[in-house]
Amino acid sequence: MNFFGRRKQREAELDEELQSHLRLAAGERVEHGENRAQAEQNAHAEFGNAALVREVTRDTWGWGWISDLQEDVRFGLRVLRKNPGFTAVAVLTLALGIGANTAIFSLINALMLKSLPVQNPQQLVVLQWTARHQSEFRNSSSYGDCDAKFTDENPRSCSFSRPFYDELRAADSELFSGITAAGSEVELDLSGNGAASIAHGRVVAGNYFEVLGVRPALGRMLQAADDLPAAAPVTVLNYGYWQSEFGGSPAVLGKTITLNGTPTTIVGVAEKRFASLTPGTVIDAWLPLSVRPRVLPRWDAKEDGADSIWMVIIARLKPGVPREKAEAAVNVLFRNGMLHGEKPFAKEADDPRVQLLPAQTGLVGERSRFATPLYILMLAVGIILAIACANVAGLTLARAAGRQKEMALRLALGAGRWRIARQLLTESLLLSACGGVLAMAIAWWGARAVLRFVETGARRPMGFEVTLDTRVLLFTAGISIVSGIVFGLAHAARGSRVNLTPALKDATGSSTAAGRLGSGWLNLGNSLVIAQVALTIVVLAGAGLLVRTLQNLRNIDPGFDTNNLVNFGVDLRIAGYKGAQADLAIGEIQKRLSAIPGVTSVSYSSMELLTDGLWTTSFKNPGGASPVTVDSDMLQVGPDFFSTMKMPLRAGRDLAPADFAGASAASVAAAAQANSATKGSAAAEPAGTSAPLAAIVNETFVRKYFGNANPLGRQISYAEAPGETAEQHKNPGLVVVGVAGDAKYESLRGEVSPTVYVPSSGGNVNFELRTAISSAAIIPAVRSTVSYFNSDLPIFYIRPESESLDQLLFQERLIARLSSLFGALALVLACIGLYGLLSYEVTRRTHEIGIRMALGAARRRVLAMIVGQGMLLTLAGVVVGIVAALGVTRYLSSLLFEVHAGDPITLAAVAAFLLLVALAACYIPALRATRVDPMVALRNE
Amino acid sequence: VKKRYQNRIELLQGTLDMLILQTLQWGPRHGYGLSQSIRTNSGEILKVDTGSLYPALHRLERAKWIAAEWKVSENNQRTRVYRLTAKGKKQLISERSRWTQLSEAIAGVLNPAKAEGDL
Repeated sequence: MNFFGRRKQREAELDEELQSHLRLAAGERVEHGENRAQAEQNAHAEFGNAALVREVTRDTWGWGWISDLQEDVRFGLRVLRKNPGFTAVAVLTLALGIGANTAIFSLINALMLKSLPVQNPQQLVVLQWTARHQSEFRNSSSYGDCDAKFTDENPRSCSFSRPFYDELRAADSELFSGITAAGSEVELDLSGNGAASIAHGRVVAGNYFEVLGVRPALGRMLQAADDLPAAAPVTVLNYGYWQSEFGGSPAVLGKTITLNGTPTTIVGVAEKRFASLTPGTVIDAWLPLSVRPRVLPRWDAKEDGADSIWMVIIARLKPGVPREKAEAAVNVLFRNGMLHGEKPFAKEADDPRVQLLPAQTGLVGERSRFATPLYILMLAVGIILAIACANVAGLTLARAAGRQKEMALRLALGAGRWRIARQLLTESLLLSACGGVLAMAIAWWGARAVLRFVETGARRPMGFEVTLDTRVLLFTAGISIVSGIVFGLAHAARGSRVNLTPALKDATGSSTAAGRLGSGWLNLGNSLVIAQVALTIVVLAGAGLLVRTLQNLRNIDPGFDTNNLVNFGVDLRIAGYKGAQADLAIGEIQKRLSAIPGVTSVSYSSMELLTDGLWTTSFKNPGGASPVTVDSDMLQVGPDFFSTMKMPLRAGRDLAPADFAGASAASVAAAAQANSATKGSAAAEPAGTSAPLAAIVNETFVRKYFGNANPLGRQISYAEAPGETAEQHKNPGLVVVGVAGDAKYESLRGEVSPTVYVPSSGGNVNFELRTAISSAAIIPAVRSTVSYFNSDLPIFYIRPESESLDQLLFQERLIARLSSLFGALALVLACIGLYGLLSYEVTRRTHEIGIRMALGAARRRVLAMIVGQGMLLTLAGVVVGIVAALGVTRYLSSLLFEVHAGDPITLAAVAAFLLLVALAACYIPALRATRVDPMVALRNE
Repeated sequence: VKKRYQNRIELLQGTLDMLILQTLQWGPRHGYGLSQSIRTNSGEILKVDTGSLYPALHRLERAKWIAAEWKVSENNQRTRVYRLTAKGKKQLISERSRWTQLSEAIAGVLNPAKAEGDL
């Protein structure tokens, strides 16, 4: 027999025992001559309070609390079942509040808290260097692994040079159990497996997987021998990529595929959980560092020099080695190389040093994009939960007033006050538990919907997955219990403090004495409504600011027409085109694309605009005589670029065919030198030619560097590269032939910088197509045209500009959309709260309203009285809320664009909106009040 | 309300336990029978409250000083009958000696003159 069964039997036995006592007592009284009825009555009187005897006896069993709990739960469920309307509203309110929290928390869990998919991730550290000023590296590349900052002041990065990595590995003995590195990420043109496609690859050191402790799902991982210069090229595939592109077939082992023209053997598939070390990226294929010269399209042997930083170094600390100790040892090496190397990269005053960050937090990846929005949203849902709790507390209190008689009766029958408080608390916890269970369903659905939206905002899959794991379940259980206690406390405290006599005397339960939720205008019920309105204002104000930010961003004029524009990238070098051959091919593709029906104009540029990609270069100050170096953005453009983009020419002429011929002949090297990686920048170093190239500058360039002088025909010279003397510097520079209107280049938010447009040459370009019809509809024709030109030429990222803008503003759209949703949710909850309070007030005051109407009060007056009470509360809440919002929205500042955190227009609009909705919420109960029939109301007494 | 009872139980506790054990030594009894015996043997002075009696019985049962079983009485009614266990007998002896000590001590305090006079 189980515990509860035994327990039940024991209770029955106790009952029987007490019954037999009564029977025996009565029987003896009868024997002594009392009549049966008299005897039984006296026996009962002598026995005392049977319920109490039962309870105190049960207490000696020592497990009383369990049976009490069981009883409380049973009774609680009965109470909740008896009030299905109240229960439904309360559970739904709580489910929405808890569900919103669980959803956002499960996103935070998925994006921020999941531990790295490796063995003992806590032992892994990632190296990051800092300095006071930017060090003089020739080239620096990073791939979004760390929170890098390429600023002049206090730069930081986790990119290191090959020599430093080799030195570190050679030096280490007892600090690390392994040191490894990841290098460049690379787009791989994969052929030999159906049509040519693009895979996202990453080159890593041969011991990478061994140090991380990643096992193969199939075959083997990369090993040190693969990383020798003479080794045959091999690759390891991502599990998901293997499933989708190779059908999960074990036959891939030993299969040779062609990656960027290099035959490469597949030797294994990584275990399923390892999509990448860095969160938010998915690597399709890993290659050893040794294949770089063959696979990297822009490979340059200089990259292995000490002045080129590109390797992300990951080390595994030996058990028991403190991070600080290892850090000190690494710093000795690093500072020595930076300050006293063959060619120092920094001065002593720059204080370059290395930090060993725990890999779990140091490798931020895509996390950095989501951290702020997610924590802001967490704050919003936290407020929503507070509103939900206040709401349910209000509902419970209103109902508690109706239950005062019940409480008084139970107290009178000998129930302990604590026992009653516990009973009420149990009811609250039951409600919040039901809410919590429902919340899990809402959260599961909601978090996945948000994540799907997040994925659409990324160019590539990010590999985040929402799971309801232990951490999420504990979180939900935790907040459910806390909310249950929070909203139950007031109720429990009041319920057990009933004043017996008036509560019991009042037969109808409708008199003011029994019904009041507290005394005075600022009673508990009113305060709860005010709090809800105030919190709603805070959420709505935040949402309003974020929506306005999105609007402002959408209204930015980028300086070119974003409608009916399609972008896509091709890299002719990875299909084997070189030098002038590539320029010819690009010209041919341009011609063929122009022939597609619906395409009005086609051009290309070295980079797609507004994608955070930027190429900057330094000039000798073009306006003045002083030898100051100035920076300018630079973009290589194809013929018809300005007309295709609809960027107006303010002065001079467009680039002519002769300009392009000159550029093509002169400098293929310029493109080769340019660091087109989206993060980082490098100085351009075009090769020397005899005549300056034609260039078009933007208005900002003219204003900043030429002032009022006529820029046309002026020459601009490149600044010398670091270490280069004036004599070595033979580049003839540029001559300004035209001025274009300002247009955004790197990003939508940033200011327009001085920009130089030069004739394009080189093989990696982004095509821009202006279409007359829907830009999405043209995409299949574009694909087939390129494929018809050369079937081995893969297309990168083809999409309409409008879609790119959506992706660009995706973080803002995400947070604006979610915060609006949460704002609406807060509003609905607050209105339910307001409605509930007023409905209750109307019910409580039916008698009073009846008298008023009997005495001749007009319906209008009654209506105004109820609506007035509601609006007064709302207004109080609005005032409190605005004050609170002014304090809270400050934290949004970093997310806002061209709107101030305390923006009065937004606050006023939000307040007006809320008052309007509140008016509707007040109107319905008020209308009910006017329908009170005085006769019925008075007879009620 | 509950508190009032608890105070009374506390007051009686040690004594009531001893009275129950002592009464059961004369033979097994049910709850009502016990209260009647105590009442009769005390000359109608000690009236054991049911709110004290049953918790005490269940407590003693839990301590294994007494054991209970259901018996069917002559008029075919089920009653729960308690009897003293071996453990309970030992407990009774120790409680009785404690009680004797206590009453002697109290008597000594109450009648110091008499004690002196005996010398």
